[in-house]
Amino acid sequence: MTRDEVFAKVVKIIAPFAKDKDALEKVSEETNILQELKVNSARLVDVILEFEDEFDIEVEDEDADAVNTVGDAVELILAKVS
Amino acid sequence: MAKLSARTRLALWAQRQVGRFSGIVWIPTIAFVLRVLLGYRIHNAADVRRRFRRLVREHEGPLLICANHLTMADSALVAWALGGSWWYVLNYRRMPWNLPEYHNFAFNWINRAAAWIAKCIPVIRGGSREHVSSVLRRIQHLLSRGETALIFAEGGRSRSGRVQTDSAAYGVGRIASSVPGLRTLCVYLRGDRQSSWSTVPARGDSFYVDFELFHPRSDHSGLRQSRDVAQQIVAKLALMEEAYFRGRGTPATT
Repeated sequence: MTRDEVFAKVVKIIAPFAKDKDALEKVSEETNILQELKVNSARLVDVILEFEDEFDIEVEDEDADAVNTVGDAVELILAKVS
Repeated sequence: MAKLSARTRLALWAQRQVGRFSGIVWIPTIAFVLRVLLGYRIHNAADVRRRFRRLVREHEGPLLICANHLTMADSALVAWALGGSWWYVLNYRRMPWNLPEYHNFAFNWINRAAAWIAKCIPVIRGGSREHVSSVLRRIQHLLSRGETALIFAEGGRSRSGRVQTDSAAYGVGRIASSVPGLRTLCVYLRGDRQSSWSTVPARGDSFYVDFELFHPRSDHSGLRQSRDVAQQIVAKLALMEEAYFRGRGTPATT
């Protein structure tokens, strides 16, 4: 799976949780999920669990703690699927 | 459970010791403010406190108090309702550590110092996961040493005025499922005149309080386990709320 494919899937998963739809339009790997997309911090766990289901991976608490930006999520997923 | 640095452990130890030795002043002062200046009362206070003290006598280990959340005075009210004031001076381990939202009290150094003395570890709601995780690790460390902590399982004050079963704070589940020997105590507290959420309860209000030990179980692991446990705790609080409204003859709906 390419980085671009993972990025596209990550954005698709985050989209329903993002309260700032304008920021979602301009999303990049540098976009902060909580601060820019305004995803509720409690819902970020739901987002990461959806990553687990979509990519058939298991994410530990410590790994999840490092996810701040969309790019962090892409990195984590690529590391897990490889 | 990740280990804390020696510096962080030392800082927590210092915070506890300063709070403990000054507790003879600040704990009764808070009780005085709640009872005399604000005129609050706890229904069946003597019975509630007798039950709580018996519960902690029966098991000396760590205790995680998970309460519903309607006002910014809830952490003080829950602690006062369960243990009174002087009892905490003598049983300081049972005075709960709290995780107040940093921006609610950090506007001057007096507030920050008071919160530090009063066993508070500030958390920035919506902050980075590293920050939230470092706060959770500190609470896990304190609990693993037999301390008591109070966390609002919904993460923030309920905007609907009822327990919000769809907003379980994952961190509660992470703590509840990671500390060996931890007991989880669900507490439901509500002022008679508290129809929705607010900054503080109405002056002179009287509070219903009920509590119950709860044993969440999950077949999952990792994040899924934490979320599962958090959702079970919030669901338990919602059941306690239903019982409260049934007792008042009021439907438990918003």
